[in-house]
Amino acid sequence: MQENYLAKWLNNELSEEELAAFKKSDEYASYQRIIETSDTLEAPDFDTETALEALRNKQSLTDTKVIRLKPFRRFLKVAAAVVVIMIGSYFYLNTLEETFTTQYAQNEEITLPDASKLILNADSEVSFSAKKWDKKRKVALKGEAFFKVAKGKKFTVETDQGTVAVLGTQFNVENRKGIFEVTCFEGLVSVTYQDKETKLPAGSSFMVIDGKIIPTEKTNTALPSWINKESTFKSIPLKYVFEELQRQHAITVQTQNIDLNKLFTGTFSNTDVTLALQSISVPSQLKYKSEGNKVLFYAESAP
Amino acid sequence: MSQTSVVNKDTKDNVCNEEVYSQLFRANSKTVFNYIYYKYGNEEKAYDAVQEAFTRLWENCSKVTPPKAKAYVYTIANNLYLNVLKAEKVRLKYADRVNTTNHETPEYVMEENEFKKKLDTALNGLPENQRTTFLLNRIDGKKYAEIAEMEGVSVKAIEKRMHLALKSLRDQIDGI
Repeated sequence: MQENYLAKWLNNELSEEELAAFKKSDEYASYQRIIETSDTLEAPDFDTETALEALRNKQSLTDTKVIRLKPFRRFLKVAAAVVVIMIGSYFYLNTLEETFTTQYAQNEEITLPDASKLILNADSEVSFSAKKWDKKRKVALKGEAFFKVAKGKKFTVETDQGTVAVLGTQFNVENRKGIFEVTCFEGLVSVTYQDKETKLPAGSSFMVIDGKIIPTEKTNTALPSWINKESTFKSIPLKYVFEELQRQHAITVQTQNIDLNKLFTGTFSNTDVTLALQSISVPSQLKYKSEGNKVLFYAESAP
Repeated sequence: MSQTSVVNKDTKDNVCNEEVYSQLFRANSKTVFNYIYYKYGNEEKAYDAVQEAFTRLWENCSKVTPPKAKAYVYTIANNLYLNVLKAEKVRLKYADRVNTTNHETPEYVMEENEFKKKLDTALNGLPENQRTTFLLNRIDGKKYAEIAEMEGVSVKAIEKRMHLALKSLRDQIDGI
């Protein structure tokens, strides 16, 4: 009889001879009865559906509780934010423009990245991007400045009133309230005003006062007068002359009984206040009273 | 624990799929229950074992493939009371043999009941692994190979247990 023959017998794996021999044995009847009786045995009741239901209820309770925090993920969020801020500020700082400002009674000479020069008149502001200078020679101007542009690519001066473009030259741009004046001293300057381009040869000016283009005479000077500490006017309304006076001497000008649109032609000093006041008052037949930083101009005929 | 299961919860052929899971439960829970009951003779603990084993299966549903799920629940259920629970008396019922009882003489019935009592005693006298194997085969109709898978042993070891179980039962009953 082979090994574990009882197990083989139950599994119908005995050979015919083995089975016949086993059936003849004394114990066969006993085994047969044990198996027959065992096969009527039943396990305790177990309701599968009830158990599954119970399990689901338990799971729905525990499932909602299982929340695993991922502290590393939170760290990543912070790290990502830091990286974004760093990259952002790098690009911001990179594109940030350099700005120069002058106060009242102050001039400043600025050397641009390509050795072009500009001189800022009083109360003016110029800004440009040094990083992008190689690609684009461009400055933004508020106020007045004199440019000595080195030869090279197009050089652009942007103002809120118009755009001035040159290749290499010396020119002056005045961009004040009510006045937009460009004077070319050397080379050729292109001025775009209200989408209209005007070419200025050396010695000529382009002037807009209160939105009107004013024809100008040729100048013979090589530099704008303010570079030599003087302010020169040719048929300019008095209000703009007073404004320039305020800027150059850091004083406050008040007027009484004066026609501010009366044209003024002349020059005043940017260094000597008294001389400047006289330069304006005498030819215009005005009187003035000066008190500290305040000057009052009034008509001679007034009481 | 079940965090990772969220990722592929709805793919078919995955234990995390509600349908697949229920199917596994319906197919195996009763046997798990019986398996633990045959071992320890404690209905309550057997029921708890089913709950615990299938809860663990759900929690690890993404890590257990459907073909491995069966062995997984048996292992969990088996390990649950290992060396913890003391075996109690296994109480099994006998199905009524409706067709034959009417024709049996009272003597036969008495003798039959006597035999059943002896069998009960003999079964409880078996080592736990022999009893479990024997009952899984006779009551639940499990093949030796299936039992081997549940117990994590070879088919030959199951055959040995089966053989020894039947031999011991006969020795006990015939008073050898």
